[in-house]
Amino acid sequence: MPVDDLAIDLNHVEKRFGRSVHALRGVNMQVHGGEVFGLLGPNGAGKSTLVKIMMTVVHASHATGTILGRRIGHKPTLKRIGYLPEHARFPSYLSGRQVIDFFGAMAKMPRPQRRVRVDQMLELVGAAEYADRKIKTYSKGMQQRIGLAQAMVHDPDLLVLDEPTDGVDPIGRRDIREALTQIRDDGKTVFINSHLLSELEMVCERVAFLVQGQVVKQGRIEDLTFDQVHYQIVLHRPMGVEAIGSALAVEWDGQIGASVTGKTAEGLLLELTDSTLTLRSSDPLDAQPLIDRLRAADMVITDVRSVRPTLEELLLQAVGENGGAS
Amino acid sequence: MTQTTALLIDGYRQVNDKKLFWITLGLSGLVVAIIAMLGVTPEGLKILIWELKNPVFNATVMPPAEFYKYVFTTLGISIWLAWIASILALVSTGSIFPDFLAQGSVDLVLSRPIGRVKLFFVKYLSGLLFAALQVTVFTVGSFLVIGVRGGVWEPGLFIAIPVFVLFFSYLFSICVFLGVLSRSSMLAILVTILLWFCLFIVNSTDGMVSMIKAQMEVKVERLERELAEAQAESIVTVEAEPDAEAPVEGESEPETQPEEEAESAADIEHLADRIEDARGEVRTIQRVADTIIGIKTVMPKTGETIGLLERWLIDTAHLPRQRVDGNASRWQLDQRAAEDKLIENLRGRSVSWIIGTSVIFECVLLLLACWRFSRRDF
Repeated sequence: MPVDDLAIDLNHVEKRFGRSVHALRGVNMQVHGGEVFGLLGPNGAGKSTLVKIMMTVVHASHATGTILGRRIGHKPTLKRIGYLPEHARFPSYLSGRQVIDFFGAMAKMPRPQRRVRVDQMLELVGAAEYADRKIKTYSKGMQQRIGLAQAMVHDPDLLVLDEPTDGVDPIGRRDIREALTQIRDDGKTVFINSHLLSELEMVCERVAFLVQGQVVKQGRIEDLTFDQVHYQIVLHRPMGVEAIGSALAVEWDGQIGASVTGKTAEGLLLELTDSTLTLRSSDPLDAQPLIDRLRAADMVITDVRSVRPTLEELLLQAVGENGGAS
Repeated sequence: MTQTTALLIDGYRQVNDKKLFWITLGLSGLVVAIIAMLGVTPEGLKILIWELKNPVFNATVMPPAEFYKYVFTTLGISIWLAWIASILALVSTGSIFPDFLAQGSVDLVLSRPIGRVKLFFVKYLSGLLFAALQVTVFTVGSFLVIGVRGGVWEPGLFIAIPVFVLFFSYLFSICVFLGVLSRSSMLAILVTILLWFCLFIVNSTDGMVSMIKAQMEVKVERLERELAEAQAESIVTVEAEPDAEAPVEGESEPETQPEEEAESAADIEHLADRIEDARGEVRTIQRVADTIIGIKTVMPKTGETIGLLERWLIDTAHLPRQRVDGNASRWQLDQRAAEDKLIENLRGRSVSWIIGTSVIFECVLLLLACWRFSRRDF
């Protein structure tokens, strides 16, 4: 699939449960082929419902759009999609190997092909060692690895993962991240729904924020945070509010928690917390005069860095702007 | 085909994993062993080496081959498989659909390129595997026992496999319907067993009413015979009357003849009244029987489906029954005639009515369950 093609193109997806619950209120979301895409949102925003609609587990009240070029709900297309649901429950009477084989068969893979792929997947997710033990003896992390393997066994073009690192230890998370990177490098599309924002930040190129059943923001992480980049100047030790204010000709006129805020003569917004001075500007040129003034006042600077807001901060911002509960 | 095969293999593995499956299988083996221990001799019954003399039930009444087939259908199928093993099978399979529909489990399968209708019916068939495996093992064991002990290799016994699976499928369809609706194994199993008990009650009532009806009909037939005889006697008397009009002098007979005639006429009248009363009773019991048949028509006929095995495997002439000889009382004769009529009546019920209406019931439940499964969000 060409990278520029849309792997997922959802338009006005709506879902009502009964008359009172309006879970999705016209979701529009686009995922490009060959990218790792993250879906973020507070609890109850409708993330899992949206994923289940994509996977035909839940019927949409209204939906237009395509997945891998076919209409939403087109069953044969599911052969090209791998899915790991949230809280996946595998048959306890099967071994890990049998689970992967079973779901390979459900994806219509011929038996000889399955034999080869099952071993490959077990190696990829690091579960070969315990592959022949019954699932009921597995830890949550082990089950999650098998879950990932069953989702990938039929070599799908699109991998949909709902909370893939849920219950997985840090080493397991790293392994899963590496596996996802590998899949992306193979030209596949990965769609992840996770509440672990730091995990998403590490692997996703684009994200969408779902709040109260609507996508309120979506795009590349860099683009979403571009206008919110700021600079931090770290001094060797706290120099006192008055001394810094005097050096920068700033009058501190506000307070946020333990921080004081003020404006420079050029109108730049500053925030001082202990020995860290934050400049609310994405232009690196704005930071230069401040550094000069601090140095002129014999203040020792230990670090100057550009800081982007985290996904968590963006999410909280999106939730705050759209009145969602987290 | 790959998907169907995978689902059936999965069904087998699921059944295989249940301890209850192996316990039931072990008990089936025990029942076959018990059947093998039983024997019939010209003097009576034989249990291992102990012989129990029985003039009513012995090899002259029922040959060994028929005896083993009879024990197989009554003890093996009707009691063991159709009751005890079926309850164990329901307990084992009742959780198949609720477990399958649990969140995190059903999502995995529904997200594969398989239609929900196909998924539902293949899963349903895999649930019947439990019953199919049990009855197959039991029938093969019984076939060997009857062959070795009875000296007859009866391939007809294998009809028990589809018949028992069909019987179990009626119950399993109820269980699946309730399981899909409630997603609770406990509720599905308990309500299915409760409904099964209701079917048993209806079937028993049907049996009792049919017996009463048969007895009433036999009574009417007997009374009609008696009436015909009485009327015939009366005609003979009337025909003899012209000779009697000139009685021999000194004889007192002519004086008593009108009394006898009057008595005979009274008897005939009394018999006619009794016949009319009995016919009225037959009509009443017929209405009750029709109502029960009407109720049964829309219900699965579990008892009668299993009863088909006895109908197909056992010759009526070899059924173990009380011997009736020339010295039997009128009540005994009536009872035997009623039994014959009952057997004739029950065996006369068509296979298409027994199986057809039950399968319609099963299909309706399965279609409703499938529709719910297809429409539901998980």
